[in-house]
Amino acid sequence: MFERTKDLRLSVIKQMELRASKFPDVISLAQGVPSFDTPSGIKRRVELALRNGVVSKYSLSPGLSELRELIEVKLAEDNMFYDFEKEIIVTAGSIEGITATLLAITNSGDEIIIPEPTYTSYREVIILCGCTPVFVGLNEEKDWSFELEKFEKAITPKTKAIFYCNPNNPTGTIYSKEQLLGLAELAKKHNLFLISDEVYKDFTFARKEKIFSLAEIPEIRKRVIRLFSFSKSYAMTGYRVGYLHSDESIVAEILKVHDCLVTCAPVISQYAAMGALEMAEKDVIFFNGEYLKRRDLVCARLDKLKHIFSYVKPESAYYVFPKIIKKDFDFGSLDAPESFSFRFAFWLLEKAQVAVVPGVAFGPSGEDHIRISFGRTEHDINRAFDRMEKIFK
Amino acid sequence: MTKIVLAIHRPTIVAISGSSNKTFIRDEIRKILEEKGKTVRANPKNFNTEIGLPLAILNIKSGYNSYRAWLPIIFQAFFAIFQKNFPEYLVLELGVSQKGDMKHLLSIVRPKISIISEINQRYVESFSGMDNLFLEYQYLARCTRKDSGALILNYDNARVRKLSKKTHARVEFFGKTNASGIFQIKRIEKEEKGQKFWLKHNNKIQEFFMPSFGEHNVYASVAGKVFENVI
Repeated sequence: MFERTKDLRLSVIKQMELRASKFPDVISLAQGVPSFDTPSGIKRRVELALRNGVVSKYSLSPGLSELRELIEVKLAEDNMFYDFEKEIIVTAGSIEGITATLLAITNSGDEIIIPEPTYTSYREVIILCGCTPVFVGLNEEKDWSFELEKFEKAITPKTKAIFYCNPNNPTGTIYSKEQLLGLAELAKKHNLFLISDEVYKDFTFARKEKIFSLAEIPEIRKRVIRLFSFSKSYAMTGYRVGYLHSDESIVAEILKVHDCLVTCAPVISQYAAMGALEMAEKDVIFFNGEYLKRRDLVCARLDKLKHIFSYVKPESAYYVFPKIIKKDFDFGSLDAPESFSFRFAFWLLEKAQVAVVPGVAFGPSGEDHIRISFGRTEHDINRAFDRMEKIFK
Repeated sequence: MTKIVLAIHRPTIVAISGSSNKTFIRDEIRKILEEKGKTVRANPKNFNTEIGLPLAILNIKSGYNSYRAWLPIIFQAFFAIFQKNFPEYLVLELGVSQKGDMKHLLSIVRPKISIISEINQRYVESFSGMDNLFLEYQYLARCTRKDSGALILNYDNARVRKLSKKTHARVEFFGKTNASGIFQIKRIEKEEKGQKFWLKHNNKIQEFFMPSFGEHNVYASVAGKVFENVI
């Protein structure tokens, strides 16, 4: 019974949220949800679509042609050339795109390499697809960058893909072009797919240049599957809409799975996505500016707790992943798993009513860390740190 | 206000219309004109309907649904009359999503050259049938200037092809169909870094390469080559 699901676990982030909800005055810096509402231009596009009566029927399985056209244009602006008719699928958030991709490209028993710490749900989706996640630790000493030799060592005849998040959740790292080109060489040498989840690519703070993607390189377009979600960039987590793109030879196979899973992404959300691409450029710039302010605020507040935490300053996304350097806490009789980061997160929740995510949830290298989200308002961030300062005195 | 601005500056208007592929053709035409050293303004993204078009012509951003944002826009519109360096060419996508949209848009602009890409089921819900949708494009064909103007049509789409009979302007065709006199796409070949296509016109075959993928991009490129030939 339940062979497929017995090794799956509910996301630790959601577990923390659930636990936190029992505390009446909790401040949650756990879930990666933007504090902003969806931009008004997007909402207006949805209202218009509703009024025009165009949202009640299925769209084509890969999504509305108008939306995929817009996506093609947007990708071309970023030096990525993909045919909207055959090479782009609008998905129900990026997690559905990831699931469809893995189901399409893998066979049961394949191994998928994931640099970690990284997004918690990758492990579960890989297991759900009958594959084995193989963790390769990132190097915290080198600002959470990855070391190619470690990847090469992890490759076996069963390895099917390297699956990474760039910018990375929870570390906020942007992998350099050189590092990514190194990965591409490895993929070519060992005949692997590269799955690039780029949901935070719009949050680059004050950095001028755009984030490089391997999907820009035409020679490897038959290996790279790139995913994007509207959730973070446009404050649309509830709409569940994203997209993926790759060479038509791969997309044709992913489309079959996507059709089985969801038929098509929710049409009303597809109209919202059109609104995002047509009208929300300014909002993304605004969000980016706000996250930069919040990043600096969180770092300034962490600097005041140097005896408790050390951290690598994030370059992107809205997370910081501090290491807990003080170890001699009296956690008392906590009902928590053995892991130190779990015990620390549970203790912090009880003591300060501040919810964070235990670092071990993001992979073995995440142990001894916590993830703090600065998707919340400056007011909430300040209140949470005021409470932490009080208990760490 | 838009009409006054157009009457003062008298730009050449190129209209791009059809159910799909407008944006790719618009970008191609803009690129061609810019390469020829012309000054061009094209409507951005979705600025192709009754409110978007005047804003695009006046080069003013939309306030979307914010009344506060619209006030300075209305103010800016007055000053648009005195815009310096008004472009020589306006390349405008004309979108129709409701009956009568084209009539409204063409009460603002009168295109010298119109390019119509496709007429298909997209947006047909609001028109109670393809024949009514066809009437919108027929109106554009009829309103395209006959004096030195031109209507550039996709021969492969039967409805678009039929528009040649509804205009007084010069007509040029493009497409894959083997028909005499048209700009004919003979072959498309996908390569690692893009796609190659071969274009036949007046018994001459030329080879082209583009870094983008998909047949629609070849059609957009060929529409651009017809446009180049016309101007």
